[in-house]
Amino acid sequence: MIRLSGRLANVGRWPLRQAARLSSALIIGVQGIRARKLRTLLSMLSLFLGVLAVVVVEAGAQTARQAALSDIELHVGKDGTVIMSVPPDPKIVPAAMDAVAGRSDAVAFFPAHAVIGEPNVSPVNQGGAPFDQGNGGGYFARPPGVEIICDNRGVCQKVEFGPVNQPPPGQAIELQVTALTGDIRQFRPFRSVSGQWLDFSGAPSLSPRLVLNREAAKGFSRYQVPAQMRVDGATADPTPRIVGVVDDGNEVPMAYVRADELLNWLPLTRAGNFGELQMMMTPAAAGDIAQTLRARAAAVGVPAEELRANTVNSKKEAESHLALLNWIFLGMAGLVLLIGVAGVMNVGLATVGERVEEFALRRAVGTPRSLLAGIVLAETMLTGLFTAAAAIGASSLALKVVSRLLASHTSYLTNLSFPWQAGVAGIVAGVAAGLLGGMIPAIRAARIPIATVMRA
Amino acid sequence: MTPLIELSGVTKQLRGQGEPRAILSGVDLTVHSGESVAVLGRSGSGKSTLLSLIGLFDRPDGGRYLFDGRDITRLAERRAAALRSAEFGFVFQRFFLLKHLTAAQNVAMALVNGQGWQPRRRRRRLALAALDQVGIAHLAKHKPPKLSGGEQQRVAVARALVRQPRMLLADEPTGALDTETGNLVIDVLHAATAQGCGLILVTHDWDHANRMHRVLRLRDGVLDPVENEVVA
Repeated sequence: MIRLSGRLANVGRWPLRQAARLSSALIIGVQGIRARKLRTLLSMLSLFLGVLAVVVVEAGAQTARQAALSDIELHVGKDGTVIMSVPPDPKIVPAAMDAVAGRSDAVAFFPAHAVIGEPNVSPVNQGGAPFDQGNGGGYFARPPGVEIICDNRGVCQKVEFGPVNQPPPGQAIELQVTALTGDIRQFRPFRSVSGQWLDFSGAPSLSPRLVLNREAAKGFSRYQVPAQMRVDGATADPTPRIVGVVDDGNEVPMAYVRADELLNWLPLTRAGNFGELQMMMTPAAAGDIAQTLRARAAAVGVPAEELRANTVNSKKEAESHLALLNWIFLGMAGLVLLIGVAGVMNVGLATVGERVEEFALRRAVGTPRSLLAGIVLAETMLTGLFTAAAAIGASSLALKVVSRLLASHTSYLTNLSFPWQAGVAGIVAGVAAGLLGGMIPAIRAARIPIATVMRA
Repeated sequence: MTPLIELSGVTKQLRGQGEPRAILSGVDLTVHSGESVAVLGRSGSGKSTLLSLIGLFDRPDGGRYLFDGRDITRLAERRAAALRSAEFGFVFQRFFLLKHLTAAQNVAMALVNGQGWQPRRRRRRLALAALDQVGIAHLAKHKPPKLSGGEQQRVAVARALVRQPRMLLADEPTGALDTETGNLVIDVLHAATAQGCGLILVTHDWDHANRMHRVLRLRDGVLDPVENEVVA
């Protein structure tokens, strides 16, 4: 009696007992898989497409999300960034430039229009069009006798002047220039392509340093142009120096320049000629700067309501749209996975039918029903796990191949890594499908009558 | 001294498609530690049913079942599994060895049943000791298809002994073996009783039965002693 109680007490502690059962289920499950490799392979094959679909959908969604969101950040700015627009009024633009001077948490920038190359010729990309769209088919291409005029609010329209003398085509590149008071990359994370970014320390140079975007760099690598920059509204033509290339997500040729280096040649009063001056700042800096600017605007007679501020929230909005699409595709992949679950169940039932005597014997030697079910579930779960590993491996390899083949066409495919979320989704899908597929075979195994061994 | 097994007035009906048929109708049986009992009877007399009740594979319809003085007549399945693991060893007519496992692994399977945890090295040591006890430790790495019938049954006996049970239940363990090999298996079972283990042997073989301490015959659902033929 004492001995019996003692033995039962040894296995009476719930956590220890469960740990023992889990270990036993895994050991026997692995033995079962090793003993029935072909059946395991068949289960894996039926599950593979389903798990692969989940992994591919999740990997695709994450990659697309990454690409879409990084482009949004390049174009619009990081979420939380406060953008303030200052009207191109000569009375308030200097005050705005003053407000951010020397600050690391805010940057002001204004657009300018420039042509680099031979003077008095039509640029190769007239109107600042992308180089592969051809002259005349580009964004800003305009036929002879047509001019695009923008008003104070930035609204542009075509105006026909009738026949004019069009300069002869020559070696010049037309591009938009953004003059910056500080490092904008904390708000718009441009990807460095080559060279270096603008150095805002030290005195401004009389030879403005330029950082080109990829499209502009394409033009400069394709055409040999003299180093002479004509900026609309400038007092003279400076000699620019190109110091680096970045990917800013823009498809039109752009260049970035230190504002103070451009202002050596362009009077501040003309700084707003080509659009609004904008400021990007952290939320912490926004209150302070807005208050200063509104006071200065009131002092010079500019209505305060013309200083518009808004906070970037694009990433969050885009994420909710992408999440919806992601769920729709995952739902479709889930349907494919269900077919795999049916396959696992089919093979599982056949296997249990084959192992009736083994399960009855295990019960005879003291294995509880729950552990018998656990053994079957451990086998199907491990099968699901192996399938997930195979699907993740295949997807990762495919992604590498796609990345290598298409990187030259699409910039965000460069150095693309397999998203960990897809790996997690694959493992969850594999394990869940294994458990789901093993459920009915497990119940059947647990119900095998122990007397099977006596009657055999 | 408290008997290890004590059945009193145990009844069992078999329920098939027709009317229930009484297979045991008031069985009384007492087995002490170290005692061996042979149960004889014609096919269908209920020997295996009796063994399945003693081994807690099934429950009696009536009567009382005490194990070591404790009433286990209506033991819950979970506790019955724990008790089977801790106190009973089973040997069947067919060996029920798993073909994909070695002899040592087949023996160790009784240790991997969720009733307490033993590290792998200890499981292996216990399995080898059990194989040694039945005289085939040298075959530990062989898989069942490479073993003879007698060797396979001895592996099955080692599996029954590996947890050092207090009661061995053997259901026609020599039924599939020739006489000489059958004697070897009975030797092994008999040796276990010498170490204090109780044994109930269901058999058709008089020679094997006569080597037990007591011989009982199951007839008309009742166990009767067979006094005259007992030799041991």
